[in-house]
Amino acid sequence: MDSRSTGARVEVRGLTKRFGGFTAVDDLTFTVEPGRITGFLGPNGAGKTTTLRMALGLVRPTSGDVLIDGQAYADLVSPLSVVGAALEATNFHPGRSGRDHLRVLATTAGIPTSRVDEMLELTGIPAFARRRAGAYSMGMRQRLALAAALLGDPRVLVLDEPANGLDPEGIRWLRGFLRMLSREHGKTVLVSSHLLQEVSQTADDVVILANGRLVREGTMADLQGEPSVLVRTSDASALAEALNARELAVEPGGDGGLVVRTADPRVVGDVALAAGLPVWELTPQRADLEQLFFSLTEGTNRNLGPVAGATREGAA
Amino acid sequence: MTGAIRAELLKFFTTRLWWGMAIGIFLAGAAFALLFGLLFTGAFGEESMQGMPTGDATQVANSVYTGGLSIGYLLMLTIGVIQIGSEYRHHTITSTFLAQPHRLRVIAAKVVALLAIGAGYGLVSLAGSVLVGALVLTARGEEAFPSGDVARTLALSLLVLGLWALIGLGVGILIPNQVAALLIGVGVAWIVEPLLGLALRAFEFGRENLAPYMPSEATNAIIDAVQQSPDQQRLEWWAAALTLTAWAAVLAGAGSVLTARRDVS
Repeated sequence: MDSRSTGARVEVRGLTKRFGGFTAVDDLTFTVEPGRITGFLGPNGAGKTTTLRMALGLVRPTSGDVLIDGQAYADLVSPLSVVGAALEATNFHPGRSGRDHLRVLATTAGIPTSRVDEMLELTGIPAFARRRAGAYSMGMRQRLALAAALLGDPRVLVLDEPANGLDPEGIRWLRGFLRMLSREHGKTVLVSSHLLQEVSQTADDVVILANGRLVREGTMADLQGEPSVLVRTSDASALAEALNARELAVEPGGDGGLVVRTADPRVVGDVALAAGLPVWELTPQRADLEQLFFSLTEGTNRNLGPVAGATREGAA
Repeated sequence: MTGAIRAELLKFFTTRLWWGMAIGIFLAGAAFALLFGLLFTGAFGEESMQGMPTGDATQVANSVYTGGLSIGYLLMLTIGVIQIGSEYRHHTITSTFLAQPHRLRVIAAKVVALLAIGAGYGLVSLAGSVLVGALVLTARGEEAFPSGDVARTLALSLLVLGLWALIGLGVGILIPNQVAALLIGVGVAWIVEPLLGLALRAFEFGRENLAPYMPSEATNAIIDAVQQSPDQQRLEWWAAALTLTAWAAVLAGAGSVLTARRDVS
């Protein structure tokens, strides 16, 4: 099996799912590119899992479709070699060993059993996998689900909340592993999470969902915005003047501080020294992702209470 | 497709259910062969024969060898329900459909696998019942294999078990809650359906046109066992086999249609 196979593009086009009068996913359109890790984000109940299930042919869309390498999932000739998915609700029969679970999948897809053992080695659970799955911890279930997703050496990897239940070491391992798959093997990696910060270190791109609608799509770098430097001094207006003279944009940073639009804190320090002003604090900053995520998805958690029609305009 | 069938068999043989069922079916076959072998040959005295179901030597042999089927087909119904119900219950249906997105192929694979499993368990049941039954009949001075029809009955009992597994498959899909499906499936097949058959026999139209087509009645007709009342309307073995096949096809077919449309979440 050629593990150098390149990734495939995933196109979500006008995807909508209604359950009765409830719109779980609302006219969603975005693209997931190969060779990159895409974070698929949104609060719980935003419609992430429903979207992934529609992409994988498990849930029938009310309208719209998802193309993987130009085809619907159901039309893929050898689906496990194109898409490997580890969904949150994927579970295991408690009386069957993890290894046997993988053997069942491999047999269905015509994948040799030797590949099963390779994947168990890779995810670090070869010994545990011979026990019945009922005794598995959450972390082991995640590793087994990942091993299942990798069985067919897929071009696209779809992981639903893969870090849930992993210990810090496991999360670190997972990040490195996903980076390796996307950078070195050019695979498409789509990782869902309800925490922006969780994927901020790994994701190249982000797709943010709220209330079933797309609220942001772009690169992680764009989302984090221009870097800036927070500076505090004895006379803020004098320093602002001196910075403006060097053509540096300045905004009040609250509590008497200044936010300077630059990536280089040394420039700010030099200007303060030249102006004869003391530097009390000098901190490089990026956008507060947690704050940003809240502001994008604020008030849209439909699971927490009745939804006002107003949130639709708010989210748009 | 062959991969999907092999995967279904692998699913069945990688949990502990299969050997528990094998023991149950073997013991049921042996125990009923012993009981019926003694009962129908008057081992408990002539007066115990009063009110007994009667039949010729072939029907007696058939009854002895297939007595365990009354338990066996309920166990196969259970296996059929579990083959799909445990997938819903433990959410493995998600990975099953990811590996084979053509859902009708998955159901078709389950149908083929369950027919094979039914035939296999049929052999296990017969191993118990023929061994014990032939011994008892011989010991009681009866002929163990009075006619070739007995061989036909033995062969058909394999089919009967497979068909009941398919009925279970249909029930398991129509009622996605596995526990409910098991309770309702076994409850109906074991108690409600035979009672309904009895009620239908209370009036002439039901007696002649409905009761013989009930699944348990058809099952008894296929294996041509002894009868409670000899004048009772009963289908020919081949008509009964077609009837039970129709029941299995309707239930498994309805399940297939549902499976193809239902969202998996």
